[in-house]
Amino acid sequence: MQQKIIAFANLLRKSGMRVSVAESLDAFVALDELSIGDREIFKDALRCTMVKRSDDIPTFNELFDRYWSAFYDQLREAFEQAGENAGDALDIEALLRAVEQGMEQLPPGSLDLSELAKVLLSQDLNALEQLIRQAAREAGTEKIENMLQIGFFTRRTMEQLGSEGTGEQLRSLAGQLRESGLSDAEADALLAMFERFMEALRRSVRNYTERELEQHNFDYMEKFRRESLLEKSFYNLSEEEIRKMREVVARLAQRIKNVLSIRKRRLKRGKLDLRTMLRRNAGHGGVPFELLFRERRKDRPKLVILCDVSSSVANVSRFMMQFMYSLQECFTKIRCFVFVSELGEVTPVFKDKDINDAITKALDGGDVINVYTRSNFGQAFHIFWRDHLAAIDNKTTVLVLGDARNNYNDPRAWCLRDIHNKARDVLWLNPESPSAWGFGDSVMDKYLPHVDVAEECRNLKQLSKIVDRLLL
Amino acid sequence: MFQSVDDVIQKLGQQDYICGKDIATVVYLAAKLEKPVLVEGPAGVGKTELAKVVARATGRPLIRLQCYEGLDEAKALYEWEYSKQLLYTQILKEKFAETMAGATTLRDAAERVGREDSVFFSDRFIVPRPLLRAISADEPSLLLIDEVDKSDPEFEAFLLEVLSDFQVTVPEVGTLEAKHRPLAFLTSNDAREMSDALKRRCLHLYIDFPDEELELRILETRVPGIEQRLAEELVSVMQRLRKLDLKKTPSISETLDWARALLALNARELGEELINDTLNVILKYEGDIKKTQGEIGRLIARRSTGGESEGGDTGASESPAPSSPPAPPASSVKRGVLH
Ligand SMILES: Nc1ncnc2c1ncn2[C@@H]1O[C@H](COP(=O)(O)OP(=O)(O)O)[C@@H](O)[C@H]1O
Ligand SMILES: [Mg+2]
Repeated sequence: MQQKIIAFANLLRKSGMRVSVAESLDAFVALDELSIGDREIFKDALRCTMVKRSDDIPTFNELFDRYWSAFYDQLREAFEQAGENAGDALDIEALLRAVEQGMEQLPPGSLDLSELAKVLLSQDLNALEQLIRQAAREAGTEKIENMLQIGFFTRRTMEQLGSEGTGEQLRSLAGQLRESGLSDAEADALLAMFERFMEALRRSVRNYTERELEQHNFDYMEKFRRESLLEKSFYNLSEEEIRKMREVVARLAQRIKNVLSIRKRRLKRGKLDLRTMLRRNAGHGGVPFELLFRERRKDRPKLVILCDVSSSVANVSRFMMQFMYSLQECFTKIRCFVFVSELGEVTPVFKDKDINDAITKALDGGDVINVYTRSNFGQAFHIFWRDHLAAIDNKTTVLVLGDARNNYNDPRAWCLRDIHNKARDVLWLNPESPSAWGFGDSVMDKYLPHVDVAEECRNLKQLSKIVDRLLL
Repeated sequence: MFQSVDDVIQKLGQQDYICGKDIATVVYLAAKLEKPVLVEGPAGVGKTELAKVVARATGRPLIRLQCYEGLDEAKALYEWEYSKQLLYTQILKEKFAETMAGATTLRDAAERVGREDSVFFSDRFIVPRPLLRAISADEPSLLLIDEVDKSDPEFEAFLLEVLSDFQVTVPEVGTLEAKHRPLAFLTSNDAREMSDALKRRCLHLYIDFPDEELELRILETRVPGIEQRLAEELVSVMQRLRKLDLKKTPSISETLDWARALLALNARELGEELINDTLNVILKYEGDIKKTQGEIGRLIARRSTGGESEGGDTGASESPAPSSPPAPPASSVKRGVLH
């Protein structure tokens, strides 16, 4: 059982979950405390010890069913069929009882049954499942990679099980029983049943092998799906994919908030407020019964986001807006602006509308700005400088999201310089790679001197790395 | 404490908390293995309540630490009771004078006072906060660390230490170790993800919105006066409401609030108009209310076709509404085998 759990934990890991060794051990201990006959409880016990992120629960459920129930169910079905086919005259139970009695009368030592034969005779399907799993492990079935190998690994597993020898043993058992008094009809039925058992066994082993292959492909697909979404460039995302990322993005936003607030929290508490303290304690003859600390001002970080929504980066901006929306849900002091060449504030739109409506509205421009023009970062920064510079102070972080492709307009970098001088810091996330910055109509190089951190951010993986780095 | 998983279900049920095997298994294991539980899930699904009822069901005193941004060790563990210390120094002034008698230099005097430190920094002057109370309690307690996601990451690191061995060191006094390991429940609305280290230390429980049957049982337990028909209608509307893409999805607490409001209005059935008038009980955002108002017809549709006929959206609804996926088959695999 423990081995089976370890293998399952490996499977979870392969599918991207973080299961530590300590957690697998917890699972063992937990199972010791429970009667694991109840499948639901068994599943819950594994889950609560090994899976700690709610996002992973659906994958866990799927893997659990594949790993723990499906094969046994198939096994039971195969052997039930083998029993039913016995015909009306002879039912399997009676037959097996007859075998048992007959065997007792055989001279001791006259038959030496293999483990597999015993298990088949007693129809202990749990034990049979264990035998098959073990044989498959010895046969190396978990290395299976494609359909063409199914036959091969099925045969190897059967060999490991010693199925041929067992078949022989069962046949000779039937023969011996016939000699020691079983009627011909009974003996024939017995032989037929043994054949069906062996056939059911072969089918089950094949089924097991197929499952291994499926599992192999499944992990692969899972990993592929996850990674691709992480690494896919924002430029190529579909709306659907962007929606899928919503939760991941929301988490990132929350983490950014944590970073910004920790960086500010240096002192444990405010300074001693001597003046007020002495006054307050005057009644105690000047003995300071009540210590008074200056209320430390709550340092709520302020965030101002400027997001490029020109049509050349439509999908990128859709994604960035989602990021911005999530940030807005985390911060109380946040203002969001979108621009192409004009600049408009979308804070209220984001506040009232749900995420999709808000983004659509902001992207369509409509009442906010005209989006059907060509990007002009210089102009946008200038407008911000003119209308909103006053809103920036030394607690404000300014975040610019855009490619800095300025259509050969004047970059007016001095506007960003002034913003930079007033703000706590300026961060810039650019979907283009640094090697392209400053080439063609990119004016990123002109802005760089006025930016504290500038990063390439073209996919979710990069974004999450950036957030991690900010954390340090 | 609990005999079995079923025993948990039953004992919590006696405290009017209705849960299935999923929750009960985790509670049972937490008690058996003495491991803290991290309970996550949307707001209002009964995370806090779970800890409270486990306390009641086990007869343990509940010690609650409510987390918030800025919560620090002093507020969570202990503080020195400064004014009491000072009062003692005032009262003991003369004693001090004796101690000081003969001190020739300031340094000497300070040394002598220093030697008496332990008098003032002893448990006598400690104000215990929830964590210390749980550790030093004379009987086994239940420690609820509520909304841990609201605390700051540094606090989480501190919490991790406490939860790992339930002992704390007060520099002036020494190390205090729990006489009885408290049963600890941490709840989180997932505002931020807790660290892997913390999660590794805990059993994990995710409470999701309840399915229709469970929600109905909760409703009937918590709002006993409600008529069955109204309860069924209400729960069915809530279940559908949760499939809409709302900014704040209403939870069990909203179901209960709504039921109580409807009772107060003497409502007997849930019509379109009544829903419209009372939506603000369950939805907090203007945008959500607007969105829902456009869907009310669909929320109560199909229900009126007499008996609960399951299977197939054969109604004449021409709307291209995505028919909600059929509930997954109640997968109650009956076989009892696993070795
Ligand atoms: N399973 C349940 N059985 C009975 N009442 C419940 C259940 N779940 C939730 N409730 C009720 O729902 C309300 C909200 O629960 P609460 O614990 O405050 O939610 P959370 O802590 O998850 O935000 C409480 O009034 C509680 O009584
Ligand atoms: Mg709560």
